[in-house]
Amino acid sequence: MTPPLYIALRFLTHRKRALLLSLSGVVFGVAIFICTQAQTQGFAQYFIDSTIGSNGALVVRSRFRPRYEALIVPSKSTNANAAHRFYFETISNANEIMRVSRQFSNVVSCSPVLRGTVSARAGFENATVDLFGIDPTLHLRTTDLGKELIDGNFNDFRNNTSSVIIGSKLADTLDVDPGDTVQLLSPGGDYWRFSVAAIARSGVGSIDSTRVYSHARVAQTLLRKPFAASMIIYKLRDPDRAPALASHFEELFQHLSSSWQEREQSTLQIFFTLRISAAITVSLIILLAGFGIFNVLTMTVLSKVKEIAILRSMGYRRIDISAIFLWQGALIAAVGSLLGCLLGVVLTWGVAQIPIRIRGLLYADHFVVIWDWRHYLWATLLALVAVALASYVPARRAAELPPIATLRGSSV
Amino acid sequence: MNDEACLSCREIERYLGEDESRVHALRGVSLDLEPSSIHAVVGPSGCGKSTLLYILGLLDPPDAGWVSIESELMSHRSDDELARRRNELIGFIFQFHFLMEDFSAQENVMIPMRRLGRWPEEVMLDRARSLLEAVDLGGKLRRPIRHLSGGEQQRVAIARALANDPRVILADEPTGNLDTANSERAFELLKNLVHRGEKALLLVTHNPGIAEACDWIHEMKDGCIIASHARGTRSSSY
Repeated sequence: MTPPLYIALRFLTHRKRALLLSLSGVVFGVAIFICTQAQTQGFAQYFIDSTIGSNGALVVRSRFRPRYEALIVPSKSTNANAAHRFYFETISNANEIMRVSRQFSNVVSCSPVLRGTVSARAGFENATVDLFGIDPTLHLRTTDLGKELIDGNFNDFRNNTSSVIIGSKLADTLDVDPGDTVQLLSPGGDYWRFSVAAIARSGVGSIDSTRVYSHARVAQTLLRKPFAASMIIYKLRDPDRAPALASHFEELFQHLSSSWQEREQSTLQIFFTLRISAAITVSLIILLAGFGIFNVLTMTVLSKVKEIAILRSMGYRRIDISAIFLWQGALIAAVGSLLGCLLGVVLTWGVAQIPIRIRGLLYADHFVVIWDWRHYLWATLLALVAVALASYVPARRAAELPPIATLRGSSV
Repeated sequence: MNDEACLSCREIERYLGEDESRVHALRGVSLDLEPSSIHAVVGPSGCGKSTLLYILGLLDPPDAGWVSIESELMSHRSDDELARRRNELIGFIFQFHFLMEDFSAQENVMIPMRRLGRWPEEVMLDRARSLLEAVDLGGKLRRPIRHLSGGEQQRVAIARALANDPRVILADEPTGNLDTANSERAFELLKNLVHRGEKALLLVTHNPGIAEACDWIHEMKDGCIIASHARGTRSSSY
C-alpha cells in the first residue's frame, strides 16, 4: 500500500459522517441511474421483442419498377422529389424470393403473408381487423405466434382451415373465446364464419387489438386476391443488422423491403428520448453527488492544513499530498459505485415486482426491466468521472498549500 | 563549504512579505553544524530564527546564499528532490508537536518511514517500537495521539524526527510548550540521541537553561547572527 493511500484511508475512516454523506450521494446516484435505465430500456426492449416476434425483423413487400421520366425539362412546378418508382401490391414469385433469401446467413426463416383489412362481427360486436393469411408451419417457425397464445391451441388452427387466431384485445372487443364463432366480411359483402381456435397476445396494443390470423388460401379467397402473398416476413439471427439486409434485398429482389428499425422508427424514438431524458436527470443526481464530494473534500483539506504541513516537513512531495485527496475521492467512487450497483440490482428487482396495469402501447402487468451489464458500467464510469472532477480541485489546492505559514505558528 | 559539517549555509538572504510589508528577514546568515553537535539559536521574537530553521530544513528557499547537506548543495533542486532529501536527511520537531491526530503513536513514527520506503512493514513496526521505547513510551505504542499528555506527545515527535535516522535534527522551540520538568527531560533525551547517533541538532529556543546546555549558542538580531559562543564561553545572559 502506498503512503498516500494509507493516509487517505485513515483520513476517510476518521471522518465517518463526511464519508457517509459522500458515499450515500454516489450510491444513490449510481443505483437510481441503473434502475431508471433498466426500466426505460426494459419497456423499449419488450416492445422491440414483441414487434419483431409478431411482425418479423424484416419485411419484403410491394414489387416496384423504376419510373422512367420523359426526356423533357420539367416545369418549375413539378415536384422534384416525386417517387421514381411504380409500386405493385403483390409479391412476384414469393417462393423464389424465399428460396434465394434463405441462402443469406442472417436469415433464420421466412414466411409469406397475405394481408388485408376486413370487418369482423361476433354477436352484436363489430371491429375492423388486420387479416394475416399465413402458412401455419412457416409462420410458427418465423414468429413467436406459438408463444403468444394465451388461450386455445395452435394445432386446432393448423388442422382446421376455417378457424382463426385472434388478438387478445380484439377478442375482448368482440367478446369471444376459443370455440366461439366470428364472422369476417369479404369485399363481396358475404360474411364468412370462422371458429376461434386460439387467442394470441403479442404485448403490443396495436397488434393485439386488430390482428386476425387465418390460413393463407382461405384469406386469398376471402380477400379475392389474385396472388397468394403480399409480403414476406423474416426472422433474423442478428436483428440489429436488419437495415443492411433490407437495403440489399430491396436492390436484389426489386421489392420494397423494410427493417424493424425503419418500421418502428417513431415508437423507438419515443423510447430513446425517454431513456436519454432519464439518463440526463439521473446524471445530474450523480453530478450533485460529485458536488457534495467536492464540498466534503474541500472541507477536509481545510481541516487538514496542519497535517498537510506536517507531511510536507517530513518529506512528502506535493504529488503525494494531492494523491492523498485523489485517493479519498477514488475510494469513495469505488466503494460508492460497488454499493450503488448492488443497490441498483435490488431496486431494479423491486421495481420489476411492482404491479402496474399497462394496456396501451404495451401490455404489461408489472414494470418491465432489462438486466444489462452496460448500465452498471456506464453508471460506474459516470460516478468515477464525477468524483475525479470533484476531487481534482481540492487535491490540487492541498498540494499547493504552503507548509511554512502553518508550521510557523506565531513565530517569525 | 565545511566538508566535515552535516549541514552548512552561507550568506543566506531572505525577504518575507510583499511591497510595503516586505521584511528583510535574514541578512547574510552563515552557519556550520558538525556531527554530534547541538546548536541553539536565540534571539527576540521576529529576529528570523524560525525563518532560518525552515530554510535549513529545505522547506523555504533562500533569496540568496546556499545550503548544503552532507557536502551536497541544495540550490536549484526541484521541489520533489528537496522533499526527498528532507525525508532522508532531516528530522523536524515543532513547538506544538504537530502530530497526526488520526494515527497512533507508533503509526505517527512510521509515517516518515513509509515515504522513505526503505524498510518492510515489520521492520518499520520494530523500528518505531524501539524509537518509542527509547523515549520511554514503549507502553503506549497504540495509544491515539489525543490520549497522550503534552510531554508524551513531544516525545513522540522526537521519536518521529529520528524515524529515518536523519543526519540533522531541526527543532523549533521543542520545549516551548512543556513544563520545566518535561522540558529538561525532552532536552536530555535529544542530547543523548544526538551524541549517540553522531547527528547535528539545531534548536530555536527562548529557554536560557536549554540554550546554555548546548554546544553552541548563536545569537540573532534583525536577521543576522550577531554572535556565536561555544558552551561556557558566553558571559552575559540574553
